[in-house]
Amino acid sequence: MSLKDDFPILSREVNGHPLVYLDNAATTQKPQVVIDAMSQYYSNSNANVHRAVHTLAGEATEGYEDCRRWIKSWFNAEKAILTGGTTEAINLVAHGWGRANLQAGDAIVLTEMEHHSDIVPWQILSEERGIEIRYVPVLDDFTLDMEAYIASLENAKLVCVVHTSNVLGVRNPVDELISLAHKAGAKILIDAAQAVPHDRIDFEQFNADFMAFSAHKMCGPTGIGALLVKNDAFEQMQPFMGGGDMIESVTTSGSTYQKNEHKFEAGTPKIAEAVGWSAAFDWMSKIDLPAHHERLLNIAKWTAEQLRGLGFTVYGRHQSGDGAVVSFLHPTIHSEDFARFLDAKGFAVRTGHHCAQPLLNRLGITGTIRASFYLYNTQDEAEKFIQIVQYIVEKFA
Amino acid sequence: MKYPQALQELIDEFSFIDDKMEILEYVYELSEEVVEFPIANWSEKTRIIGCQSEAHLEVVVKDGIVELRCGADSKIVQGMMGLVTIAINGRTAEDVLQLKPDFAQEMGILNSLSPSRSNGFRNLFDKVMLEIRIKQ
Repeated sequence: MSLKDDFPILSREVNGHPLVYLDNAATTQKPQVVIDAMSQYYSNSNANVHRAVHTLAGEATEGYEDCRRWIKSWFNAEKAILTGGTTEAINLVAHGWGRANLQAGDAIVLTEMEHHSDIVPWQILSEERGIEIRYVPVLDDFTLDMEAYIASLENAKLVCVVHTSNVLGVRNPVDELISLAHKAGAKILIDAAQAVPHDRIDFEQFNADFMAFSAHKMCGPTGIGALLVKNDAFEQMQPFMGGGDMIESVTTSGSTYQKNEHKFEAGTPKIAEAVGWSAAFDWMSKIDLPAHHERLLNIAKWTAEQLRGLGFTVYGRHQSGDGAVVSFLHPTIHSEDFARFLDAKGFAVRTGHHCAQPLLNRLGITGTIRASFYLYNTQDEAEKFIQIVQYIVEKFA
Repeated sequence: MKYPQALQELIDEFSFIDDKMEILEYVYELSEEVVEFPIANWSEKTRIIGCQSEAHLEVVVKDGIVELRCGADSKIVQGMMGLVTIAINGRTAEDVLQLKPDFAQEMGILNSLSPSRSNGFRNLFDKVMLEIRIKQ
């Protein structure tokens, strides 16, 4: 029995060919246990959380809070706020921490490598509050310009940086980035959306102030993610969404808020999604993640070498610790055409700017074709992928 | 719906092709059917928003007859433009405005016609129709 058998979608055909799913940096597929857990929740335990005394409400609350326990234990974190995903988690930092702690003239540091979800919230805040945004350039070898990073830290209040690039797969030197930010007196937010699927990060040891990620990139459902926060940063945050569940008491003259993570989880939360995410954690706890990551990185590296040999430009380096992502372009066949031809043969890849337009501007291109590998992908699939790529090149170049 | 003869013939031809790759190859060939719209004339105004590729068009309505001029850096997108060219060029604006975009789905070219930002064909079709309405 292969790991692939746990994922029902992977047995389907696309356009008459077995599906080979290589769009994992966008979202991963879900094992049957995750699908079953969510279905079972709606079939058996559906209720709203935290308030009612009836049995179903107790089961729903346990299901929801069990997910928080999984997150805290998986990442060794004291505070885990459940959000709608990475984007919402970053917006929570921008509005919950940023509005309470940043003023006109303050500076924050981003990089050219960021996903739009780690750029746009800061631009909105910058326009609203007159905050300066400094961008750390990306060098020709696809790494961050560390000299420019150090210079940008002067009087900066916050650094927001991606752990692993969703376009390049490059893993940034996060330990160094965190340490330098703290030495300069700045807090640091890590966008770990592409990191957590491959790397079981210890948040306490990691020592970032905030870390954002999504469930759906690690076999969990869409629509849920988390923000890990260190205690001192947590105390500096103010809620930016008000409503039910986040209050202690409400009177016509004002409200008081809960002291724990619920303070930032206004309204009915993502209960079924939390139950599904717990099932994903449970499933992943039986997987040797480091061994799989090494295997997948080798597949990505092999694929990149083959593509270079066929005349493609590959954007990435595939060094130890990097993501199993291969971004590439053919000199004459348009990336969108290429992706359609691949889809016709059952291969799912991503094309376009991957929500990282500043990075693509820096690279002087408007988009790439991106193949990204995850736990269920195999070397055999990569070899079939290269065969089809070769066929497309021979026919259309 | 009843399609113009040239388009109906194409729809019939496509209906005999089961293989998606062959459909795409055919669309690729249709990129030759467009009336050239020189790159020098491409601008923000002529750009089809929502396409991943650079795709541009202009519509001329002369004596009530439509002519679409267009081009794209993606051959498949330009092939879809070729398809629209076959469907509308040389016909009256009044006739063309009756056309619905469903034929692309009937031909198996597209999985979806929902007007999302990534659906280049729908955006192409809507822009052509809008230009005809303005210029007729």
